[in-house]
This record gives sequence, C-alpha cells and structure tokens, in this order.
Amino acid sequence: MNRAEALEQLTRLCNLNREGVAPPAIEPTGFDELDAVLPNGGWQSGTIVELLPAATGIGELRLLMPTLARMTARDRHVALISPPHIPFAPALNNHGVRLDRLLVVRAGKNIDTLWALEQTLRCRSFAAVVGWPESVRDRDVRRLQLAAEAGRSTGFVYRTVSAARDASPAAMRLRLQAAPQGLLIDILKCRGTRGGFSIAVNFQKSREELRDMKSTSVEPDSNKDVSPADYPLSVIR
Amino acid sequence: MLWLCISLPQLPLEALQPDRVDTAVVVTACEGNTRWILCCNKAAACSNLSVPMNYTTALAIHPGLQMLNRKVAAEQAALERLAAWAYQFSSTILIGDLPREIRLARTACLWLEIGASLNLFGGLSKFIAQIESGLEQLGYTYQLGIGPTLEGAALLARNGIRVVIATPHALFMRIRQLPIAMLTLPSTMSAQLHAIGIRTIGMLLELPRGSIAKRFGLEVSNFLDRLMGAVADPRPAFHLPQRYSAHFEFEFEIRNTQALLFPLRRMLTEFVGYLRARDTGTQRFTIDFGHRQIPATRVVIGSTAPDRNVDRFFALARERLESLELSEPTLSLSICADEFASPTALQTDLLNRSIHEVEGLTHTLDRLAARLGDENVHGLKLAADHRPELSWTTGRVGEPSNPLRFPERPLWLLPQPKEMQLTAIPRITSGPERIEAGWWDDRDEQRDYYVVHVEYGPDLWVFRDLRDSRWYLHGFWS
Repeated sequence: MNRAEALEQLTRLCNLNREGVAPPAIEPTGFDELDAVLPNGGWQSGTIVELLPAATGIGELRLLMPTLARMTARDRHVALISPPHIPFAPALNNHGVRLDRLLVVRAGKNIDTLWALEQTLRCRSFAAVVGWPESVRDRDVRRLQLAAEAGRSTGFVYRTVSAARDASPAAMRLRLQAAPQGLLIDILKCRGTRGGFSIAVNFQKSREELRDMKSTSVEPDSNKDVSPADYPLSVIR
Repeated sequence: MLWLCISLPQLPLEALQPDRVDTAVVVTACEGNTRWILCCNKAAACSNLSVPMNYTTALAIHPGLQMLNRKVAAEQAALERLAAWAYQFSSTILIGDLPREIRLARTACLWLEIGASLNLFGGLSKFIAQIESGLEQLGYTYQLGIGPTLEGAALLARNGIRVVIATPHALFMRIRQLPIAMLTLPSTMSAQLHAIGIRTIGMLLELPRGSIAKRFGLEVSNFLDRLMGAVADPRPAFHLPQRYSAHFEFEFEIRNTQALLFPLRRMLTEFVGYLRARDTGTQRFTIDFGHRQIPATRVVIGSTAPDRNVDRFFALARERLESLELSEPTLSLSICADEFASPTALQTDLLNRSIHEVEGLTHTLDRLAARLGDENVHGLKLAADHRPELSWTTGRVGEPSNPLRFPERPLWLLPQPKEMQLTAIPRITSGPERIEAGWWDDRDEQRDYYVVHVEYGPDLWVFRDLRDSRWYLHGFWS
C-alpha cells in the first residue's frame, strides 16, 4: 500500500467515525413554552417540520426568528425558498439574523421550489431550510425528509392550513393561529410524543428579552413613546 | 523511450456518431467506382456485415442499412481533442497520420511517451488502468500497445498484443510470426511481397535491407528501419492550444435535447482532460448549439469557483439544457473557453471538514443558479436608505452586510404598496413613523407609517402617503 492509499483509507475511517455515530442535533426553538412540550426540547436536525399558518403574516416566520438567529450566529447558512413576499432584510437584521449567511431563492414553478428545497437540504452548509411550496404531496415530503437526513439540516415547510386534515410523513406538524401577542400552536403530530394539544407562545415576552439583551450595546429609540391613541381613526374608509 | 500507442479502429464511425445506437450504421468511402464499407457498428456487425465489404453487397444483405460518408476532417478533430485529453498523462503526444486509403482507414492512432510518466502515476498497471477508464468514459473503442518504437507500438496495438515490449530484439521475437498484411504498407507492395513468397514479418526482416531497398524502393526499407528502431522517427509533437475550442458536427439534426447529453458529456470529459493537462481550471466556458438557419444558441456556464470536475460541469450544463428551448434542431456542438484560473488549493487537515462544506455550498449555489437563473438565487444586504424599498438590496451569499440599524420593521414587505380598502375599524398599535426622503432623486416619498392590528389576523404595516392622503398596505408584521 502506498502513502496515498493509506491516507485515503484513514480519511474514510475518520469520516465514518464522525458521521456514523453522531446523534441528531437539537436546536431550541427560542420559546420556553414550546421547548417544554417538544420531546427533545427543540427542533431536531434531519427532520421536516410542517407549519400550517391560518393566514400569512400572523407570526409564522417570527416563530423561527430565534432559531435562525442562533444558527447564523454559529456561521451556519439558512435558505429561504420561494418566500411569498420579500423577506425584509432590516427586520431580519433586527431579529439578529446574520444576513451574509442567508440565501434567498425564488423559483417560479412549484416543481422548481421542491427541487431547490431538496438541493439545499442535502447540502451540509445549511442548518435550516425554510420553504413555501404551493403544494406538496406525501412523496415530496418523504423525499425532503431523506434529503434533510442526508444533509443533517432541519426543513421548515409552510403549507396551507387546509392540509391539516390530511396525514403527512413529516416528523412534526404545527398548526399556527393568531393569538393576542403571539401564536396559538396546535401540535398535530410530533415524533416522539403524542400530538393533539395546543400551547400559546408569546412573542412580546421574547422580544422584550431580546431588547434587554441588546440595550447594552444599542441606544434606545427616543421617539418610541408616542401613544397610539393620539391618532385619529377617521382615516379608515 | 517507451511508447504507448492508442489505436482507434472505430474512429471513422465514432468521430461521426458518438452514441451507441441499435440500428445498423456503416461508414463508407469511394475508391475507384466502388463504395466500400470502412467501419460498421455492433448492430451492423451482428447482421453479417464485415469490413471491407462492397456497399452494394451490404445493402443486399441488410436493406435497412444506414450509411454515413467518411469525413477525414472530423476524424482529425476527434484525434486532436483526444490528444488534448491525453496530455494529462504525458508531455509528449504524437498524432498519427490519417491515411486516405480505405484499407488503412482503421489505423488511426495516437502515441504517448510513457517512460517518463510511469513513476508519477504509480507504476505501469495503475497508469494503464487510468488511461483505460478515461477512454471508456469518452466512449471510444481502443486497443493499446506498448513498444520501443512508434511503428512497433502501433503494430502491437493493432494486433491486440498487451505485453510491454521494451527492446527492439523482444519486438522482433514477438512480431516475426505475424502476417505481412499487418504492416501499414501500400497494398501494391504487400501483393508484391506475397508474390515472392514472403508471408510473415519475420521473413521480411531477415532479408538484407540493401536488397529490399533496391527491389521495393527506399520507402519500405526505411519503414522497416523505423519499425525496428534502427533509424530515428521524427514527427511533430502535439502542443496544447492556449485557448480551448472543440467542435462536433452531427450527421443528423438533433431535435431532442436528451440526445445531446451523451456527446456533451464526452466533450466535457475531453475538456476536463485539457484542463487537467494544463493544470488549471475554469470559472466560465461557453457551449454553442449550432443550427441550420438561425445563429447558434450560446449557453454560458459559470461557477463561483474555478473548477475542473466533469460531473459538476455536466450537472450544470444539464440543468441549463433542461430549461433551454431550442427553436431549431441542433446540428453541431462546440465548447469554448479562454479564461482559466487555477482551482484554489484546498489544503486542510485530515479531520477538518469546514472547507468541504464551503465547497459543497458553492456547488449547491451554482446548481441552483444554473437551473433558476442567477437573479433568482441571492443573499440579502442592508442599504443606507430610509425608504423601505431601498433599505435592502440583493447581494452575494457570504458578502458582509453593512452594519446598519433600523427601527422595528415587519418581516414581510410587499414588492409594491397596495392601496387599502379597510372595512373594519382597526387598532393602531404604533406610529406614525415619518419617512420623508428621496427629494434628491426621482423617488421622492413622504409617508407616515403605522402598525395596524387586525383581530385574529396579521399585524399590518400601512402608510398614509402625505401627498395624496391615501392609505397603502406595505407589509405584514408576521
């Protein structure tokens, strides 16, 4: 055996060792209420999480912000595939997401969206991939699940709330509804525990925590204290 | 000097038709009044056609025969592409002459000086294995021979003698039993030799060289001297071109892009061989699809990092090809590259995998961009502007963003503000935030932004345009 062969064999052995036995990583959701009920205390890598929001804008993306912020802070990449609107960079930045670790993909057709989801999930550089496909079939979810396992990343797939009626092979399915100051989450399915219960998460609380965390470095906004009641409602048609 | 000869008996066919097809195909050429078959594919050989054979006879045997005309220019181009590919294995490459004579049409060959390369590639058997796997990838039918002289190596290759023969004496012992017809002598000469009772090469070589020269001319005696290494055999060596340009003409119009994949893969493999030979890589190359009427369709394949991996090139090209709508059938395929850059040396310790991850990221981005278009795969950046539409731009992934801070902003922004028709009375939870900017360019804006809360719905980001007093929806708080 010459030196090159020996090296190659050694590398293979080392990689085997690193990949073969590593347990799936757990990523806390950033919301204590949610972490407390999830079986592993957070999102599990190598799985697909289906999120079924009742409407766009109720806080469905906000739910992922602590996760994405923590992932990008660790130098991992995050991909947003076919978002329904423009993911607004200043807001993402305010939530602590590092923009240079963010990839945005706009695919015209649904099949391209699913393809891009699979490609990015399979790539080891992405810790999380967030996708908004128009429609997903069971076998698509299964394919994505395999890709996520190969790439050891977490896939968040948004679907319409009507999909809650159908079964899905995804590891976790959460129905999201608007609630005062946050979200009401119905855990429809969750690998490792029995689904079918609901919890409420409060964004306000975590936002305050975030602000407290930041206030040491950033000067507070001076013009924040205008009361909303000062503004007339007569402008509404 | 030790020469490896790659003999390509099927080159007249393979230079014209790279695909293996199930229909019987033959390549023919005219000599005198007769059309002869030079080369036939597997399907044709199975239906009892042989080489050489009169084309008319062949048609009688197999009426549905497909016929191609021999094209020496295409063979020459294929040999040159192959020589560029083979340059990665040896720095001395010689291209054999392409004989016009029909009897010798299957003797196209290429020589590599391998005495100096063996150590580098880890011994003869490994070296040969690499060359063979390369040739199989390219899809050529080949025979290899290794000998001390050019003609000797070619003779061994044509006879399928896979033994390394390093000295002229060993060569003589090995070839003396071979029939005289195996030599690439003009046919009149072979007939003459046969007539005087010389049947084997050994018998010919044992004749005094002087009398051979006298009887059959200097050409034959010189050929024998070159065969045995008694005289030098000077030939021009092949030089790598500075700019890569390969061209392939199809014999038929290709309508289906799937049918382009096999020839494309072969051309990319040859291209990668060229890059390897020059020890460089490329970030950008073009593929042209030639048509009959309209100008060629050009596809530029770009990657974020210099590369020379045939699988990745092929994957990128295939993604582009799938989304490509060729308005006319394809007649030719060319690959051109004139910008080269060395692939960055990826040096890392054995266990560090971060560099491989970075590599994986760039390849994933390339694949996405090749299929979806560069403009649809991007990162995000902040921009120093108060107007929401201009406060962000697209950028490259990994490009550091400007360290800016904005007041609280919604996660979703609408591409265009939408004029609002509110029916219920909403609750304004914060605002106004006045944004008045842009008087210095064409996009002057004077707006008061509010956050509006809708019961059991999303928080909206709305503004009142101060100029027309209308209300617009500009984002969802999410």
